[in-house]
Amino acid sequence: MPVMTEPTLPPAALVRPPEDQALWREGVRVGTPTLFGIGAWGLVVGIAMVKSGLTVAQALGMTMLVFAGSAQLAALPLIAASAPIWVVFATALVVNLRFVIFSALLAPHFAHLPWRQRLALGYTAGDLTVAMFMQRFPSEEPAAGKLSFLKGLLIPNWTAWQVGSIAGIFLGSAVPAEWGPGFAGTLAIICILVPLTVNKAALCGVVVASATAVLAFGLPYKLGLLAAVLLGMLSAMAVEEGWEKWGKRWSKP
Amino acid sequence: MGQAVEQTMSDLEIWITIGALGVATAITRSSFWLIGHHITIPKRVQEMLRYAPACALAAIIAPDLLMEGPKVLQFDTVNLKLASAVAATVYYLLRRNMLEMILFGMIVFTGLRICLS
Repeated sequence: MPVMTEPTLPPAALVRPPEDQALWREGVRVGTPTLFGIGAWGLVVGIAMVKSGLTVAQALGMTMLVFAGSAQLAALPLIAASAPIWVVFATALVVNLRFVIFSALLAPHFAHLPWRQRLALGYTAGDLTVAMFMQRFPSEEPAAGKLSFLKGLLIPNWTAWQVGSIAGIFLGSAVPAEWGPGFAGTLAIICILVPLTVNKAALCGVVVASATAVLAFGLPYKLGLLAAVLLGMLSAMAVEEGWEKWGKRWSKP
Repeated sequence: MGQAVEQTMSDLEIWITIGALGVATAITRSSFWLIGHHITIPKRVQEMLRYAPACALAAIIAPDLLMEGPKVLQFDTVNLKLASAVAATVYYLLRRNMLEMILFGMIVFTGLRICLS
């Protein structure tokens, strides 16, 4: 090792304002408890990929490139049945439609960033990340450290998902299904959902969305999930505005 | 298109499909990130969108908790996941610790599953 005569300073890119570091740490801290559930979910999807007949290389490629559990699960039976590629693509688009809503929520916070960074941030922002971010920063107004907070959520989330998924790909059938590893993911979601259900309107939205998701579960392309989000949002809004006002608005256009 | 039903995708076709799925993720997740500044969302719709994350999370877990298999609602029989989830939610409301809650829920679920099977 050469002897340094001058003190080594970190590269300029690594020197961040203190609030950025604090918000990065806060993001990591807020997201950490969910990582176990995220990893367990990745495990379920990893197992499903190899069990459906993908090779290890294909399954690894899929988890790295696609990074969308519900779309992957929807695509697997189609791939196994040799459906046309455009059918698999269209299915994934429809399954992912709720992410369009999420991107509309999250994107205005970061409109100032270069497009490559926006693309990457959007690409990696899943359900739980959006929920946790919106809980911390409900307003679009610029605030110091927003990006650091988002990255503090995104990077561990991505890592936990990939670790779980890769473990599932290599363990394959070694994990018995009756252990219910996916249930850990469900429990993690409940923990994020509880603080979001703070008022009557949100509670109503959650109840309507749950009921719709169950009753419309049989719809193709996981459209029940999208219908649940839309009906849930509408019900929450209806409660927020009050039924009377809502009725007036529609009867007197 | 007149192909044999038994035929499976070639390795290349599967890789093309995987690439297409990645594009599907990018199109949906990054949509407003890339073209959002060209679109003005009405205020009322914006207000409504605030409820989207909670509704989506509820819609993702509801089938796991309330359904067994593709269609059957299990309100009449013991539903291990629902019972464990309720217990874990109560635990979370009391302790506010997510990791403990998940472990607690998994232990209850596993305990019930072993005892009742």
